[in-house]
Amino acid sequence: MNTAAHLLCAAAGWGLALLVSAGAAEPPLREVIDGHLASHWKKSGVATAGRASDATFLRRAFLDLVGTIPTYDEARGFLDDKALDKRARLIASLMADERYPAQQAQAWDLALFGRNPPNSDATRNRSAFRQWLTGKLARNEPFDQWVRALLLAEEDGSELFYVQFQNRPEDLTEVFSRIFLGTQLQCARCHDHPYSKLTQQDFFGMAGFFVRLVSLDQGTTGSGNQQVRRFRVGEKRSGEVLFAGNMKEAQPGRKGDPVKPRFLGGAALDEPALPAGFKEPEVKTGTKSLPKPDFSRKEKLAEWATTPANPYFARAAVNRLWARFMGRGIVHPVDDFGADTPPTHPELLDALTREFIAHKFDLNWIIGEIVNTRAYQMDGGGPAAVTPPKHFERARIRPLTAEELQAALRTAGGTPADTDNVRNEYFLRYFGDPNNGQGDFQGGLGEHLFLNNSDNVRNFLRRKKGNFADSLLLSTEPWEARVDRMFLTVLTRLPSAAERAKFVAYLQSDTKPEPLVEEALWVLVNLGEFRFNH
Amino acid sequence: MNPTHSPGHCRPHEHLSRRALLKGALATTAGATVANWGGIFNTQAVAAEAAKRGKRCILLWMNGGASQLDTFDMKPGRPTGGPFREIKTKLPGYRMCEYLPKMAQQVDKLGIIRSMRTQSPDHPDGIYHMHTCYKQSERMPHPELGAMVAKYLGKADADLPSFVRMGPTGNAGAGYLGPRHAPFDLGRTGALPSFTSPYLPAANESRRSDLWRFMEAEHRKERGAEPFESHRVAKERAWRLLRAKSLFDTSKDWPAHEALYGATDFGRGCFLARKLVEAGVPFVEVGQDNYDSHADNFVCHKANLQVLDPAWSGLLTDLERTGQLSDTLVVWMGEVGRTPQINNRAGRDHFIRGWTIVLAGGGIRGGVVYGATDADGRDVAEKPVSEGDLFATIYTALGVDPRAKHYVGTRPIWATPEGSKPIKELLA
Repeated sequence: MNTAAHLLCAAAGWGLALLVSAGAAEPPLREVIDGHLASHWKKSGVATAGRASDATFLRRAFLDLVGTIPTYDEARGFLDDKALDKRARLIASLMADERYPAQQAQAWDLALFGRNPPNSDATRNRSAFRQWLTGKLARNEPFDQWVRALLLAEEDGSELFYVQFQNRPEDLTEVFSRIFLGTQLQCARCHDHPYSKLTQQDFFGMAGFFVRLVSLDQGTTGSGNQQVRRFRVGEKRSGEVLFAGNMKEAQPGRKGDPVKPRFLGGAALDEPALPAGFKEPEVKTGTKSLPKPDFSRKEKLAEWATTPANPYFARAAVNRLWARFMGRGIVHPVDDFGADTPPTHPELLDALTREFIAHKFDLNWIIGEIVNTRAYQMDGGGPAAVTPPKHFERARIRPLTAEELQAALRTAGGTPADTDNVRNEYFLRYFGDPNNGQGDFQGGLGEHLFLNNSDNVRNFLRRKKGNFADSLLLSTEPWEARVDRMFLTVLTRLPSAAERAKFVAYLQSDTKPEPLVEEALWVLVNLGEFRFNH
Repeated sequence: MNPTHSPGHCRPHEHLSRRALLKGALATTAGATVANWGGIFNTQAVAAEAAKRGKRCILLWMNGGASQLDTFDMKPGRPTGGPFREIKTKLPGYRMCEYLPKMAQQVDKLGIIRSMRTQSPDHPDGIYHMHTCYKQSERMPHPELGAMVAKYLGKADADLPSFVRMGPTGNAGAGYLGPRHAPFDLGRTGALPSFTSPYLPAANESRRSDLWRFMEAEHRKERGAEPFESHRVAKERAWRLLRAKSLFDTSKDWPAHEALYGATDFGRGCFLARKLVEAGVPFVEVGQDNYDSHADNFVCHKANLQVLDPAWSGLLTDLERTGQLSDTLVVWMGEVGRTPQINNRAGRDHFIRGWTIVLAGGGIRGGVVYGATDADGRDVAEKPVSEGDLFATIYTALGVDPRAKHYVGTRPIWATPEGSKPIKELLA
């Protein structure tokens, strides 16, 4: 090694040391976030909500981090704790809970597949995929690393993201760009984008990375509800997307011209020519694997997409994570970065992006910072008309997912898992997608007919040996204390004096308490207060 | 004395569409149910009131795709004509199939489009396309006609669902319009779907509901945001629907209407549809199986048309008799037409190059035959009509803006595709 090189190395090492020491002096991200928001509120004269009560915070943190509500004991323990740092400790313990990675995997699963993914035969049972992703999140594998693995689709269980778009590289391009680049390319599929610089060449340039992917059916394992169809993802060495111009001017029979892959907003892919005499292996029904090509487009894409230098990747990720906990993206909708959707807090978005990269895409670190902010822990009350809150000046209100609702009913009812006889598909049908096209909640008739009249809900509430209703009926406590227990168990709060009086009177209004207890529990789980995470 | 109107005392018809009904019911003792709906709604005052509430639509869905050549666009004497004979209709010079004799006497009410040229040739895609006017392959969550009508003509505080369907019908649902406008699916003859039978005795149900209302009212003081409000409204609707449940039961009044509609499931469905629109439901779809006659087209159609003829003409007659026809658009269509070529199994296959859809009633000029196919029915000869044009015509007749704009995420989507034009000649 020559002197100049030595000097360079020394300088680099020194620079690194400087960076680290500067980092140590900087305030933690949670304070940076609160600082940005506070100055924004001051500047724009936005009134803010106060701090959420311990009870409200507790329920919110449980649902967001582990996907269910706290039990009575968990709630009691937290509310009685007088320590000043109890919220931070709760967050840390929930993030160490075994339910945490599963809940986060569920959220990613919903983003990657939606409720009705295409290729339903293959995607209906995603247990293998969820297991794969939950494992990654349980080890807190950095975001860039597991996304790279997802895009390579070589690990057992990782294939399904691609498989849902079997033979649909264009659909895959749309979803990939939306989720990982925060960019809506779908308009550019049919015509040059009217409001942005995106062109059809951009769209088909990206689609070129996916056009050679092949889903190879490996057959099914298990039976009945447990049946899973397994796949491997192969890649060919040849094949191009064809571009036939503006969709409106499309002519039948005109196939279009091949488009070379090009990174969004960047360079064309530098691809070596096909080896002389190359012959593509044939893919037939029953083909189980393909040889790895000597040049892989998906590797190039996975590398480009997840590098810190990619201008889209980390920003899209932090914006999505922010929205998951704060109810709205700094760019909103979360997956539409563009000229007509500027960030509401650009400097905050920059800071989040920078720090996420500096912390090597550490998901647990950034989630911990966000939920430890004062902003996340604000109240959501008031007669607010605008949901979600545009300035993050109060907490958002979001409906519980079908999975969360089922888990919360199970927690509230004191029902051991697997004994409730509940048909999961009903919950998916009635609570799976409670929003309109713009993501606003809509209460539907079906949801309430189900809640009101179905045994699937009643099973959580009616007396069964050892469940919550049973313990209330066996108890010799005064009804006041039992009503307090009901409220704390179901709503994670104590009743007001009026509520307590009303419930005590209700529960004693007849000689037979059993139906009354069941009905009172039904009332609590049917409240908007239970339906939403607020 | 000229009766004046004192607060607290409503005239009967005011109980119809609004929360007044709910309040009235709540004022009674626990467990009391609303008075007999059939009784309330079969009064003239009520029909007049209902008429003020704007237009409604009944879709008669010909599942599988009915043959235009064996119904409204006959080609007698041509190789494609088939064995059915023509009969005269009320419209001079226009003839149609012998197995629709009652409808032949109603042609003055019909707007017949003989020049449908559509794009989706198979069942799932055709059913989707003819219910949404968009291609299924776009993979966009388009709402069905019924959901769109429910959104624009339904009332948020109505006691009944805004979009009811029975039998074989659409496959798209409310799509991007959201669960508020989702279809309410009845059985073929009007049987209510799952979860419409309370498991509690009425008295328990009622005290439970009151406790829920108390809690929501408490909560509302603190939290008035839209999602909470939407939750409350939907819950109340679910309860009101069950109180109006008797309306779906046709066992008492069906015998008196059986002769008019024909003693068939489809006929009974049409009768229930008439009752529902009268009670304020803005959209009802009734499906008839099965026109997919790849083999034995003529046997199939002869049987189906004999069910269709009394049911459809009975519906138009009954709507007219109850003063509702001018506000109720009745659409007759399926997902495809059938090939002029008769195949070697005496069947007709799917055909989208030139087929027939019929509109009648509210907003439609009757006695109009629009467009034409060529001599053998192999293609549209004049005035082709697309899915979008048809929907623009339907929406315009109902007073819904065909270019109403919605969003899926950030993407704007219109009720009908760009360039869709209502058929002026068919609009009253």
